[in-house]
Amino acid sequence: MSNVLKIEELNYKKGGKKILEDVNLKLDSGKIIGLLGENGAGKTTLMRIIAGVNSVSEGVITVNGNTKKILIKENVSLSDHLDGFKATNKISEIVHFYNAVYQDFSITKYEDIANFLGLDMTKKLAALSTGTRGKLVIALTLARSAKLYLLDEPLSGIDSISRKKIISSIIRWKDDDSTIIISDHYVTAIASLLDEVVIIKNQKIRDLIPVEQIQSDYHLGIEAYYEKVYLGEIQ
Amino acid sequence: MEYIENIPIYLQIKDYLEEKIITESYSLGEQMPSVRQLALELAVNSNTVQKALKVMIEEGVIITLRGKGNFVTENAAIVEELKNQIVSETFDSTYDKLHLLKMNNQEITNSFSNYVKQKEKNFE
Repeated sequence: MSNVLKIEELNYKKGGKKILEDVNLKLDSGKIIGLLGENGAGKTTLMRIIAGVNSVSEGVITVNGNTKKILIKENVSLSDHLDGFKATNKISEIVHFYNAVYQDFSITKYEDIANFLGLDMTKKLAALSTGTRGKLVIALTLARSAKLYLLDEPLSGIDSISRKKIISSIIRWKDDDSTIIISDHYVTAIASLLDEVVIIKNQKIRDLIPVEQIQSDYHLGIEAYYEKVYLGEIQ
Repeated sequence: MEYIENIPIYLQIKDYLEEKIITESYSLGEQMPSVRQLALELAVNSNTVQKALKVMIEEGVIITLRGKGNFVTENAAIVEELKNQIVSETFDSTYDKLHLLKMNNQEITNSFSNYVKQKEKNFE
């Protein structure tokens, strides 16, 4: 299996403050990986660094064999919280924007996902509930055909019915060879999706651990394991 | 489907599919739903479904035909054997536990038979 993502010796500071320290990580393609950590642990920052949005001074990021930021951006689809759009923007305008900006964006794929999720093109951003907005973010992100998808807290604040729909759309539209990283601080909702887990704690990354190893070696569920790691009960 | 958090999901899916095969929800020789259909139905990752199927293929319960998909075996003896195996596994821990209570085989058999009678009564 090839590494879709390789992070070597990454250090990241912001305003003199260490955000991420000595990060090394290699991910095989085709998996769904949970990126877990408390609020403010650096999950979003790490995703933005992987996606080539934030620049790093120290360390090397390789996505699908590419180290140039411009090529990385073509290989990574990072969920966007749509904060750059105006409240009066219609969904159709946002979709057109995505289609213009990303070469790998497929209108047909967007429409399939949007149909499944029940999104209405004519609605304005301001009129969307948190759940519907979350569905829109997922549809836009998955409609690109990237090697690596980064979903930053896709279920945060979302009601359980929308959550189930979003999870189904991830299962349905994930290609076998693409890889998905999902961050969350509420683990249970995504637990059944995950092949492997990465935990960020105190600016550092713990080794990648397969979910099955958590279950068979520690006899724990992901949530319990995560809590024990945070409490320092598992080193 | 609700999963037990600390048991690998592929094993739970394997149990679920075996139950479907034994109870003939998927009958002998029938084509199984696709990996993705199962993944959606069970709300898990395709890799997890694939892993459960892989074990079942190794055990001969499911046959994979290149380009056609996965099928339940046509061999009734394999399914019968699977059922017997699940029955023994179910009894294993009970038997061991009752043995620890120093019950002999006759006592264990009697108590089980009484248990079943009681169940029948409650059902009526």
